[in-house]
Amino acid sequence: MRNNMLKYWELIKHLTLREIKGRYKQSFLGFFWIILNPFFQMVIMSFVFSTIMKQQGLGIPYPIFLYAGLLPWLFFSNSLGSAMNSLTSNSSLVKKIYFPREILVLATLVAKVFDFILAFIIFAILMLVFKINLSWYMLLYIPIFFLQFFFTYGLSLLLSALNLFYRDVQYLFDLVLTLWFYLTPVIYATEFFPEKYRFIFKLNPMSVFINAYRQVLFKGDFPKWESLVVGLLISLGLYLVSHRLFKKMEGTFADVV
Amino acid sequence: MAEIIFNNVNKYFFLQHQKTLKELVQAIFKKQKTLERVHALKNLNFFIKKGEVVGIVGKNGAGKSTLLKLIAGVSAPTSGSLEIKEMVSPLIELGAGFHPELTGRENIFLNGVILGLKEDYIKKKFNEIVAFSEIARFIDTPIKYYSSGMYMRLAFSVAIFTDPKILLVDEILAVGDTAFQAKCLTKMNEFKDKGVTIIFVSHALETVRAFCTRVLYLKKGELMYDGEVNKGIDQYINEK
Ligand SMILES: Nc1ncnc2c1ncn2[C@@H]1O[C@H](COP(=O)(O)OP(=O)(O)O)[C@@H](O)[C@H]1O
Ligand SMILES: [Mg+2]
Repeated sequence: MRNNMLKYWELIKHLTLREIKGRYKQSFLGFFWIILNPFFQMVIMSFVFSTIMKQQGLGIPYPIFLYAGLLPWLFFSNSLGSAMNSLTSNSSLVKKIYFPREILVLATLVAKVFDFILAFIIFAILMLVFKINLSWYMLLYIPIFFLQFFFTYGLSLLLSALNLFYRDVQYLFDLVLTLWFYLTPVIYATEFFPEKYRFIFKLNPMSVFINAYRQVLFKGDFPKWESLVVGLLISLGLYLVSHRLFKKMEGTFADVV
Repeated sequence: MAEIIFNNVNKYFFLQHQKTLKELVQAIFKKQKTLERVHALKNLNFFIKKGEVVGIVGKNGAGKSTLLKLIAGVSAPTSGSLEIKEMVSPLIELGAGFHPELTGRENIFLNGVILGLKEDYIKKKFNEIVAFSEIARFIDTPIKYYSSGMYMRLAFSVAIFTDPKILLVDEILAVGDTAFQAKCLTKMNEFKDKGVTIIFVSHALETVRAFCTRVLYLKKGELMYDGEVNKGIDQYINEK
């Protein structure tokens, strides 16, 4: 009975609202910052990289291409950053009241989805400005995003628990994220690399998702199913392992937080 | 019928000597100790029946709070088994999950669902909760502007409406002004009359004498006495 997440839906809702409201109430500017920060990052990166990337024959303007990769990447890295602290920053709850602890991680991520949607609005406007063709394939963006969310959730469970025991896990993982960013086709396209190195991208779920987003948004086509299946399997495996470890350690969270 | 059953329950805490991976790796190389065990609860066996009002006494560090944490489910026993048959609503922390930027109103809902209430139920009881807290005027003010007294009032008022079958109380009467403490005690007596099982940790031994129907006396994690209130408290005082 305790594992029934549906039973906890109102709790998830209110914890998510707390995250969102708490943040926006602190500063009205914060609200705009959430939207504008990814946009400015995109503008700056476009300036820096557009000349190099022009030769790639992307078929669409570079800023749009970049933005399509940057938004999901920022969702990923921001989510992990917050999720890793979701248990430590809720220590008073963890110490005093029982509910499945993964709810704290989940609520943090859902609040980040809200940010993502806000930032996506600018992206949608830009796509209209740059006259990207609309197609029904674009709707596939949503299930791919769910898959990315699932992957992020699995990783968050693992890292948030580890970070509770050793507080420098988050700093170590920041380094990993920096490397990971360059191994993911955010600022470039996978075609930029010779065929024989491209297997790296196939094993990197973030790369799989970003390629799939671009496929459905810009090519007006289905994503590459076999890549997505690999992404799904990795996400699933990660989730099963993380969830198990998380549940195993859960009984001692209150002792160490 | 027993509502809470402790079966050979042991609880160890593992004190980590290193708080970071970096320190851990260094310590392993230098062959230093990494973990230290604290035996906080030693082989506890007892059961508590519905409607009992159990006082837990013992010195600081005896394991009283740990015992409540196990019952509340926030911490798991290291060995042995523990059965809890009813919904527990811990009062151990008042206002858990309150967010300073949110208003009193928003925090009532937040804290309510954290304590396991349904949103509809909170809506229905909202006016009563506010009335009990006596801070109606400030209900739409962010609680970061509340005094600590107002904060406690709000928190206690929500907790009171949780309608628990098992109530855990850990030294909460140590906070707040006397008038409010009296109000809390009245409320706890109401719970007692309704047949709610209460587990009460307090240093106020006279309150335990007056209020409880049974006493557990813990000493360094061991159960030294379990039974009649006055005998238990006297034994505790003699050994102190
Ligand atoms: N989270 C923890 N980590 C390590 N040791 C703890 C922790 N909580 C309590 N202890 C130890 O367990 C023992 C019992 O503590 P506690 O239950 O808080 O006692 P009490 O509430 O009776 O004062 C003490 O020795 C205390 O230092
Ligand atoms: Mg204590």
